[in-house]
Amino acid sequence: MRRDKVAKLGLALMTSALLTISAAACGGGSNDAKTGASEGAAKGGGGAKVGLAYDIGGRGDQSFNDAAARGLDKAKSELKVEGKELEASPGETDAQKEERLRLLAQGGYNPIIGIGFAYSAPMTKVAKEFPNVKFAIVDDAGAQAPNISNLTFAEHEGSFLVGAAAALKSKKNSVGFVGGVKVPLIAKFEAGFLAGAKHVKKDIKTSVQYLTNPPDMTGFNDPAKGQVAAKGMIDGGADVVYHAAGGSGGGVFKAAKEGNAMAIGVDSDQALTADAAVKDVIITSMVKRVDVAVFDFLKSFTDNTVQAGEKVYDLKAGGVDYSTTGGKVDEIKAQLDELKQKIISGEIKVSAKTGA
Amino acid sequence: MATGIKVGAELEAPRKAIFRLTWKTLLLAIAALVVLLSVIRVITGANDITSGGTMNAAIGLAVPIAMAGLGGLWAERAGVVNIGLEGMMMLGTWFGAWAGVQFANPWAGVVAGLVGGAVGGLLHALATVTFGVDHIISGVAINILGLGVTQYLSKQIFTGMQGGGETQSPPIPGITKVSLPGIDGPLSSLEKQHIFLLSDLAGILRGLFVDVSLLTIVAILLIPLSFFVLWRTAFGLRLRSCGERPVAAESLGVNVYKYKYIAVVVSGAMAGLGGAFLSIVASGIYREGQTAGRGFIGLAAMIFGNWRPGGLAAGAALFGYTDALQLRGGGLSVHALLLVVVVLLVAVTVWQATRARVRPAAIAGVMAALVLVYYLVTDTIPQEFTQFTPHLVTLLVLSLAAQRLRMPAADGVIYRKGQTG
Repeated sequence: MRRDKVAKLGLALMTSALLTISAAACGGGSNDAKTGASEGAAKGGGGAKVGLAYDIGGRGDQSFNDAAARGLDKAKSELKVEGKELEASPGETDAQKEERLRLLAQGGYNPIIGIGFAYSAPMTKVAKEFPNVKFAIVDDAGAQAPNISNLTFAEHEGSFLVGAAAALKSKKNSVGFVGGVKVPLIAKFEAGFLAGAKHVKKDIKTSVQYLTNPPDMTGFNDPAKGQVAAKGMIDGGADVVYHAAGGSGGGVFKAAKEGNAMAIGVDSDQALTADAAVKDVIITSMVKRVDVAVFDFLKSFTDNTVQAGEKVYDLKAGGVDYSTTGGKVDEIKAQLDELKQKIISGEIKVSAKTGA
Repeated sequence: MATGIKVGAELEAPRKAIFRLTWKTLLLAIAALVVLLSVIRVITGANDITSGGTMNAAIGLAVPIAMAGLGGLWAERAGVVNIGLEGMMMLGTWFGAWAGVQFANPWAGVVAGLVGGAVGGLLHALATVTFGVDHIISGVAINILGLGVTQYLSKQIFTGMQGGGETQSPPIPGITKVSLPGIDGPLSSLEKQHIFLLSDLAGILRGLFVDVSLLTIVAILLIPLSFFVLWRTAFGLRLRSCGERPVAAESLGVNVYKYKYIAVVVSGAMAGLGGAFLSIVASGIYREGQTAGRGFIGLAAMIFGNWRPGGLAAGAALFGYTDALQLRGGGLSVHALLLVVVVLLVAVTVWQATRARVRPAAIAGVMAALVLVYYLVTDTIPQEFTQFTPHLVTLLVLSLAAQRLRMPAADGVIYRKGQTG
């Protein structure tokens, strides 16, 4: 009898946990679709109506999505486009992302940009339904269609540079990497970082920690875990920690601040965007110019020169770089720039895979 | 009538078998565990398993779970299943962050988190107690509502603030951390020498008494306080009677509705406090979705703890500890933990064997052998598995202990006033 009850309760617990996780997104998609007048695909020229679908975090995440927002803002003022922004919620399904893209396409938005690899499958599907609308996806090369442009970055090249910076700045000869979720994209950051650190110091000690594994994407949104992981590395002797953990990065900075260590930001120049209390521990950031990619794409759209397929924003194209805000890497800037030139010229090949 | 006798009879049987947990046995068990961990540390060289940093992180990770569990305890002891803890926690994270930022005072945030969670609890009480809605359905609805409300409020309020956005708050002012004076230095140097037992004790003490947030202390004190209120006062007896046999309670003049209301509102407040702790102390910022299922884990910790405060504290501590280990650079520490599992399984084998229970003894023995083999042939544990450790440990202990669990008899049963007559 009682055991039954316990079992039943357990079952109920699990079911509702699942339900909540899947229902969690209901709140997010309900943005107002006020500009209803659908005038089909407005071709080229100024005044284009851009639909921008953010990843989890949205405008104001001080990192990845904010960079996309900057690109859109620049296009708004320079190319005179209009924009409509929608954002994703944690734990939502592909169907909800599809719905978001479809909503934009039906609302007459063209082009439509999906920010983040999570839009890969939904965009492949929706792009087929609207062959006259131009789509672009950031961070994903998997979504292939005649009307999809894939804007990807050579994160491993940028990470190589900050990895070298970390190794050069480390006094204890030990550096760490905190990844948000163990997905292939984040592995590129890890691979570049480790390669860069080992390139300048062969015997350097490295530690790597991911916060969650897919499909649990909460690792991009859990500063408490980020802090524990970074503190673990710092306790273990690391004195420079690089993160590619989205919103969990705030915890990494806090841990670095409390442990008198250094930290490296990601995506945006986080020495500018992070909380004022921790800015001084950020020695550099691996800047990923999502704004450049978004703006470039919009520019090509207004010029009617959109190309489908992958465009890689690497060091050479200025798509990735390291930042110098705060002057903490000034003394090694010459070395870093030399490495940068070597990567651009092809003298150093950075692998995008770990263990290479 | 028949059921009444049956309940009584079932209650009698395990009484004789279960030994009473006294302070002496508890302390002995803790001491034995420390010695065991120390031995394992010396053998494996995984120094992190008893380090101060691990202990400190474990407490930080355990507190939100324990608070959610405590919330579950209050509600379920009064007979209301509260699966809406996660949603109430979300309300706690949001209101905690908002008030902390708005009034530039973290304690205002703590109060607001409590109130936010309590409002969620009040809603749950209204639905389940007054309107007789199925507890699970109401709870799930509150989880969805909690997310929706916080998303909406963030868009309305945080977007306009410096450093805030649609999915995050501006940084929240922190709560003072305190340490027992004069122990950090000596303990830390003792810990670094890695002496058997001494360094482990130093690490544990350092984790418990150095750099502890005041809110952590408040939260931990709430556990014995809840025990005292629920088990040592007339109020608590009445409240628990509503969870065991509301009809009997009513016949003795207990206002069952009132007690259920109080219990569920307190439950929400506890979950809200857990949420406020998460945003104010553990993260220093509110981020959408940062509860990451902790409300559900808290509920599991409560079941693990057999609907008792001490048990749920142990469950939360276990979860916090294993989570801290794996997050702090996992592989080696969790690998060492395997050896602890082996020792414990061997102990179970011996214990079952002495009681001539062949099958359980054989199962435990085989499992011990398997784990030992795995330990010997590997050097570390892949990260994909270490991240599952806390869940696996909880699952294991739950499945081993499930036969002995006893939930409040009228838990989850919809009660209508006057249903006796």
